[in-house]
Amino acid sequence: MSKIVILGAGISGHVAASHLRRKLSKEHEVIVVSPNTNYQWIPSNIWVGIGRMKSEKILFPLAPLYKKKGIGYKQAKALSFYPEGDKDEQKPYVLAEYVTGEKQGQREKVTYDYLINATGPKLNFEATEGLIPGKNKTYSVCTYTHADHAWEGLNEVIQQMKAGKKAKILIGTGHAKSTCQGAAFEYILNVEQELRKHNVRDMAEVTWISNEYRLGDFGMDGMLMSYGSMTMKSSEMVEMIFEDRDIKWILGAGVNKIEDGIAYYENLEGEHKSETYDFAMLIPSFSGHGFKAYDKNENDITEKLFKGFMVVDADYTPKPYEEWSVKDWPETYQNPTYKNIFAPGIAFAPPHTISKPRKSKSGTDIFPAPPRTGMPSGITAKLVADNIIDSIKNGKESLKHKGSMGNMGAACIASAGFGMTSGSGVSITTFPIVPDYEKYPKTQGRQLGKTFGEIGLAGHWLKLALHHAFIYKAKMRPFWWLIPE
Amino acid sequence: MTQRISKYQRFKMMNPIIQFFKFIYLSIKIMIVVAGGHGGTRKVN
Ligand SMILES: Cc1cc2nc3c(=O)[nH]c(=O)nc-3n(C[C@H](O)[C@H](O)[C@H](O)COP(=O)(O)OP(=O)(O)OC[C@H]3O[C@@H](n4cnc5c(N)ncnc54)[C@H](O)[C@@H]3O)c2cc1C
Repeated sequence: MSKIVILGAGISGHVAASHLRRKLSKEHEVIVVSPNTNYQWIPSNIWVGIGRMKSEKILFPLAPLYKKKGIGYKQAKALSFYPEGDKDEQKPYVLAEYVTGEKQGQREKVTYDYLINATGPKLNFEATEGLIPGKNKTYSVCTYTHADHAWEGLNEVIQQMKAGKKAKILIGTGHAKSTCQGAAFEYILNVEQELRKHNVRDMAEVTWISNEYRLGDFGMDGMLMSYGSMTMKSSEMVEMIFEDRDIKWILGAGVNKIEDGIAYYENLEGEHKSETYDFAMLIPSFSGHGFKAYDKNENDITEKLFKGFMVVDADYTPKPYEEWSVKDWPETYQNPTYKNIFAPGIAFAPPHTISKPRKSKSGTDIFPAPPRTGMPSGITAKLVADNIIDSIKNGKESLKHKGSMGNMGAACIASAGFGMTSGSGVSITTFPIVPDYEKYPKTQGRQLGKTFGEIGLAGHWLKLALHHAFIYKAKMRPFWWLIPE
Repeated sequence: MTQRISKYQRFKMMNPIIQFFKFIYLSIKIMIVVAGGHGGTRKVN
């Protein structure tokens, strides 16, 4: 009998738990430890943040589902890792603290045979002074509660515009090393369309602010893509969309401080500037959760498990951008020291960024951190689950399932406006996610046919179809496993 | 504001009939890219 503990019930934790439970017999225990009550389909927060979808539509409670499916669930947060146990406990364990109910505040040693760390990112708002969701006129759409507040804030500004007051809207990244530009890109396009629907577009100045060097970098160093019968750079595509929609942009901007209605930033020229606004949605930087790890004698071994995020089978040797290789990226998400620990999704430490690192003239790093979107999060979680299942069934370690982001495709269906006949979406696929310059030297590291972009109403339908399909899958309804990650 | 998308292009982007076929085409194409498999990049383990 094996006990598999999964930390986190986001996209990757939930995918891992559901596949493990489906494929392993009931003698094996599958336990999820996560502080959240509800599962949320984060990509649809964009629509919550423009008031077009109620947050209840993107979430459901985890406890009843896990009970029904035979998945153990502890509503608790992991605090520290003991991969060798300790003086009193022979088995490896994670120290967790309950966050709700009768046991709230109680701590428990959750022992395991296999551990999946799927705790995603910490939304590190503190890294930018004054960047607090709902304060200083800045908002976030990273969680459904944040997105609800964002809509309240946006609606207030829309009402002011209706009453004749002009407004400035600022959307993008709220830190020099933020990631998730794709989500901010979706949000700015949705907000811009909402302003038109409310007949206040001419009252608003809409500005994109980002740590990207070029438009369309998306933390992936940009893309060369097929667009209709043409081959286009993602920078050109985004520029076309922004110009067409009268969206201004500020690039190479490391936002470092927020005051009520003012964003202060440094640009790559080393200049310190500011931008005023009436409504802002700025993505914070993402960081690890600051977990500590100890050996059985309680010596600190944090560096064996964490480099901010969790250490896995990547090549972390520091090297210049020109020497980066697709082979640096992990394939099995296994910790090299403790082979029964894995970290799929956003929880693993990337070997380096994907975008070229850049410094301002005064030495500040200003460039996007590497994104890990929902699809790779799901795919890496499933392959980790499959390797654990094989290892349990074969009675010895099996790492047959591999999935490097350098040999994996991803689709980003960026909503560009909501509405069954008036909506729009920018559908972008990329293969591979991390460019492979050896395989595709002439097309900026990516396969052209599989890296393409499309704009139009079909993109909106696709995003809506994915919303329903993934919530169906997450609810583990009949034949859920037929829907790919 | 610079009009970068022509009226004809916009018509094609927003016409439900054209977009219905685009939807089917995109769904298949995305399936091929995403569910088309993944693997490692290193030859030796
Ligand atoms: C607004 C927005 C829009 C997006 N849109 C898209 C999109 O259109 N397409 C796409 O592919 N991707 C999109 N993404 C990215 C996608 O949401 C992420 O890639 C995905 O959520 C990552 O999954 P994860 O499981 O690694 O992390 P998360 O989903 O963040 O899950 C982490 C889990 O760990 C739990 N946790 C945290 N701390 C602890 C702890 N101490 N102990 C135990 N558990 C803990 C959390 O409660 C959570 O359940 C979007 C992201 C945002 C913010």
